[in-house]
Amino acid sequence: MRKHPIAVLFGSFVAVALSGIASAQVVGKVEDQIRWRQSAYQTMAWSMQRIKANVEGTFNKDQVTQAANVIAALANAGMGALYQPGSDHGRGWRETNVKPEFFKEGEKVRELAQAFNREANEMAKVAAAGDAAAVKAQFGKLGESCKACHEKFRKEEK
Amino acid sequence: MCGVFPGKTPPPRRAYVWDLPTRLFHWALVCCVAIAFVTAKLGGNWMAWHGRVGVLIVALLVFRLAWGFVGPTYARFMHFLPTPRALRDYLQGRWQAQGHNPLGALSVFALLGVLCLQAGSGLFSDDDVAFAGYLAPLVAKATSDRLTFAHRLGEEVLLALVALHVGAIAFYALVKKRNLVAPMITGWAEGRPEESTRGGGVKPFLLAFCLALAAAYGASGAWLPPPPAPAAAEW
Ligand code: HEM
Ligand code: HEM
Repeated sequence: MRKHPIAVLFGSFVAVALSGIASAQVVGKVEDQIRWRQSAYQTMAWSMQRIKANVEGTFNKDQVTQAANVIAALANAGMGALYQPGSDHGRGWRETNVKPEFFKEGEKVRELAQAFNREANEMAKVAAAGDAAAVKAQFGKLGESCKACHEKFRKEEK
Repeated sequence: MCGVFPGKTPPPRRAYVWDLPTRLFHWALVCCVAIAFVTAKLGGNWMAWHGRVGVLIVALLVFRLAWGFVGPTYARFMHFLPTPRALRDYLQGRWQAQGHNPLGALSVFALLGVLCLQAGSGLFSDDDVAFAGYLAPLVAKATSDRLTFAHRLGEEVLLALVALHVGAIAFYALVKKRNLVAPMITGWAEGRPEESTRGGGVKPFLLAFCLALAAAYGASGAWLPPPPAPAAAEW
């Protein structure tokens, strides 16, 4: 079937418009985004505490694996999508603590986020292997990658 | 003594000003604070050592506070209170005594005070990632957040005070040609023997030492009820 030129034009217009929407797919209002990212970080904090408790107390491989997988899942979740322009201000569970530089130094953010990604994935691997000493060492590296970003891009709660 | 000063110059007369506990305290504090800084900057699992050396610092500070009341002459706070009059005398060049001069005394009080605040706030701090002070469970998170903020602020204040302290000592060494470091190592300074420090025997020492031990125990949180064993979650 030969398409009418107008139909072709219309079709390509719709396709372009749709792809435009797809690439700028923003889920949630600013306050939703802030609330979600705060929640995600709190969930990571919970998991870090679980790993720590297991390293310092009796080591339970299953619990460590659960916690490590949660962190890895969030690290691989593409949380960058929760930092839309305009979300440098606003209130989630509380006023956002992201620094304005976060939105200006994209290169540095990516670098820190990728370092965190690597350490989180490594943590999941090490947890699955079940060696407590290795878990402890990787826990230290993972925590450093969290703090590296906080130091640069997270305001302090006063 | 004469062997140290050969030749025709008569041996200078000396006074024993810094007692051994005060000197040990001083250099132990220097080492511990340096370690606290380095471990905090290293982060990661080094934070565990930051906490441990922090507790040691608490003990040292409590020892010094007690020694400042029951210790020998020149270790006593009452002896080197930087009163306005003492400061005026000193600045006009009329101050003549052993021990801390009034300006140095200001620096000592400032350093001790800020270190107490720093160690005290650290006990309740939380980095939100992997390490919290041993007493953080005792306070609300909002309180801990505020103390964490203070603890981080303390870093700069402390660095400034240390720079001032070391700078003043360097000034004395280079400009006034007076070595203040050697007396803090050997205990002996230029002066008359009858000016030597007095008091602070074994009993006061034991008192200060026991207070320091008690403070370390309190700061370590070892007395807090242990957290319940993690429950096996079915889901
Ligand atoms: C496992 C590692 C991490 C842990 C445990 C962690 C923990 C936390 C916690 C507990 C909060 C407070 C959330 C709230 O306000 O309720 C937070 C906030 C924050 N974190 Fe992390 N974090 C981690 C990794 C990262 C990384 C890698 C980055 C940088 C890409 C980062 C950037 C931030 C920012 C910008 C905020 C403020 C969010 C806002 O208020 O909008 N964090 N984090
Ligand atoms: C006078 C002794 C101490 C000094 C000089 C000191 C110094 C420091 C410094 C420089 C930092 C890094 C702040 C930053 O990240 O910019 C820090 C962080 C920290 N310190 Fe201390 N500290 C002392 C005592 C303590 C004690 C006794 C504890 C608790 C046992 C403690 C717990 C902490 C915690 C939890 C952090 C992490 C805070 C954060 O990153 O948000 N500190 N300290």
